[in-house]
Amino acid sequence: MFRLMLQTPVTEDYPFKPITLPERFRGKLDIDPARCTGCQVCALVCPASVITMVDIGTRKVGDRVLQVKRPIFELSTCIFCGECVDNCAFKALEMTKQFELATPNKSDLTMRKAVSS
Amino acid sequence: MSEVFLQRVEGCAVDAHTKPTQLRERETLVEVEQQYVKQFVSKVWNDGISRRLSTITGLDLGERIGIIYHFWQNKDTLHVRTTVQKTSSTAVSIVDIIPGAILYEMEIHDLFGVTFVGNPWMDKKLLLPETWPDDLPPPLLKTSKSPEIRKRLKLEAE
Amino acid sequence: MKMSESKKSARREETAGLMEYSTENLVPFGPIHPALKEPEYFKLVLEGEKIVEVIPRIGYVHRGLEKAAEGRPWVQNMYMFERTCGICSFVHSLCYGQAVEELTMYKVPKRAKYIRLIIAELERIHSHLLWVGLMGHWAGFETLFMWVWQDREIVLDIVETISGNRVHKSMNAFCGVRRDMPENMEDHIVEKMKYLAGRARYYREIIDTEETMLERTQKVGKLSVDTVEKLCAVGPMARYVGIQNDVRLNDPYAAYDEVPFSIVTRNEGDVQGLLRLRLDELIVSTDLITYAVKHLPEGPIRVKIPPVIPAGEHSSRCEAPRGEIFYYVKSTGGRTPDRVKSRQPTLANLPAALEMLKGQTLADVPIVLTAIDPCFGCMDRMSFLDTETNKQWTWSGEQLRQYGIKHYFPNQSRNSPILKETHP
Repeated sequence: MFRLMLQTPVTEDYPFKPITLPERFRGKLDIDPARCTGCQVCALVCPASVITMVDIGTRKVGDRVLQVKRPIFELSTCIFCGECVDNCAFKALEMTKQFELATPNKSDLTMRKAVSS
Repeated sequence: MSEVFLQRVEGCAVDAHTKPTQLRERETLVEVEQQYVKQFVSKVWNDGISRRLSTITGLDLGERIGIIYHFWQNKDTLHVRTTVQKTSSTAVSIVDIIPGAILYEMEIHDLFGVTFVGNPWMDKKLLLPETWPDDLPPPLLKTSKSPEIRKRLKLEAE
Repeated sequence: MKMSESKKSARREETAGLMEYSTENLVPFGPIHPALKEPEYFKLVLEGEKIVEVIPRIGYVHRGLEKAAEGRPWVQNMYMFERTCGICSFVHSLCYGQAVEELTMYKVPKRAKYIRLIIAELERIHSHLLWVGLMGHWAGFETLFMWVWQDREIVLDIVETISGNRVHKSMNAFCGVRRDMPENMEDHIVEKMKYLAGRARYYREIIDTEETMLERTQKVGKLSVDTVEKLCAVGPMARYVGIQNDVRLNDPYAAYDEVPFSIVTRNEGDVQGLLRLRLDELIVSTDLITYAVKHLPEGPIRVKIPPVIPAGEHSSRCEAPRGEIFYYVKSTGGRTPDRVKSRQPTLANLPAALEMLKGQTLADVPIVLTAIDPCFGCMDRMSFLDTETNKQWTWSGEQLRQYGIKHYFPNQSRNSPILKETHP
């Protein structure tokens, strides 16, 4: 009983001090636009329908004209499962350690990095 | 152990004029008609074949509704399947043999529209709200679609 | 505020009418009550302080998961069923995964089975610690609650290091697990398990000797063996009267047939027996994890399977912290299931809980209802009853929101900028 009184308090001082997160922590999603090829696999496997593919142009392959697509992420519905990260063959997606995602504007959570660059 | 179990199930199945089929190494399925269900379940429960009822599942088989009783004992599983007609259907209740089945039967009554004769709580709703419209078909049938249910229950903004 | 004479007489008439109306002592318990973690409505019929009958009404958090599962691909359903419950999330995805894996011809690698066992037992320790803390809280023993929940943080930290998240682990996949155990974690886990087992023995001593706990838990919630068997109770609710009903022993799954496992049963048949049972199970879990971590076999952790599952039907069961979880899956050979049925242990334990309440006093209700370790999951709604016309109607979440906006912003039009910013 008395040894507990002499111990340091167990409460962490977050948010006044930074908190240490483990390495595998699953936070907000991030994409590297240079690696994305628009293969659509992430959109097909997402359980929460977060990813929509939009057309950004066309390209010619031989004498065929193909659509070029890139993903838009609606992160307010993301469940942080990591299926898209595991299935991306080009390692373009990554889960960061950012977890402070509360915002009064829902449009802050739409990630258009792959489309606008 | 599995051989003994199968033999005992076969013994009960003969009285119900049916035969068990083995789905997998330790899973058996018996198709029983409605009139023999109570007798079969009573034999399984009271003769010590299985004293564990997992649950009762409702199933939409297209033209009829299936009701499956899942029993298990050690590593063996027994599925007892019976079918009833799709609309305004009645089925036999096993509540006097196994009182714990009362909530499972209430759930099938709510979600598939099957009335169990002999269940004392058939007039109460378990899962559906009191204001479920009378003309709306039960939700888990294949013909009931989620958007229509949401519209009728006013779950979307006008 | 002064009421006028006419208003006062009208009010007297109203209350007189209500007093004549009720003939039996009905106390409504719920749906929103401090003792319940999730909403459920119990109508308690009382004679003085003793409970005579209990009529349940569930369906307050029903989400229609079984209907929603019929239109989604197999893998997406795994994430959806994981979110049936927070505390037993891994076991739900494990049970569903096992039911579907049997329909394919692929086998689960050995290392994956051991990792599944480790995570499932960590979840069990977490759930039992949470429950012991809650029992202390409802009995009025706040210190026990605080200390137990501090130990719970150790388990959550281990889970976060392995899987990345504290509660929804998302570790399961068809025929395997998604992530391997991190390097050099073995010593850390073994040390923490030893510490937790020591704490569990200390709490065991407390519940046996502390006067508050003894008063509130001894001889409360008694049931006989025959009643429990007939009411199909599962898990600790069957084991606390002495029935040897444990899926890990009777029908082993994952790696339970290869690790030394001993079942825990008790004979007291009251809530104190439940407390002792769950703490003993906690100690058994720490031993299981220590063994599994030291004997982890080498090899792959996952076998990738195609997205189309062959036709057939299969059922599987697992031992969740609360009892037996049962999943039945039917496939017609497509990318989406035909029927998925999941039965949670709390539904099976509910008739036994109602039986336990008969004969107890009103003050025992929170203790007994928490003793079955409830985890309800059903449909959300707000219901109105007009007593004069006996008309009932409900509001949806959207209607409730619109009502709130009109109440707090009565003079704002629907297109005003403040409403657009705060209520898009």
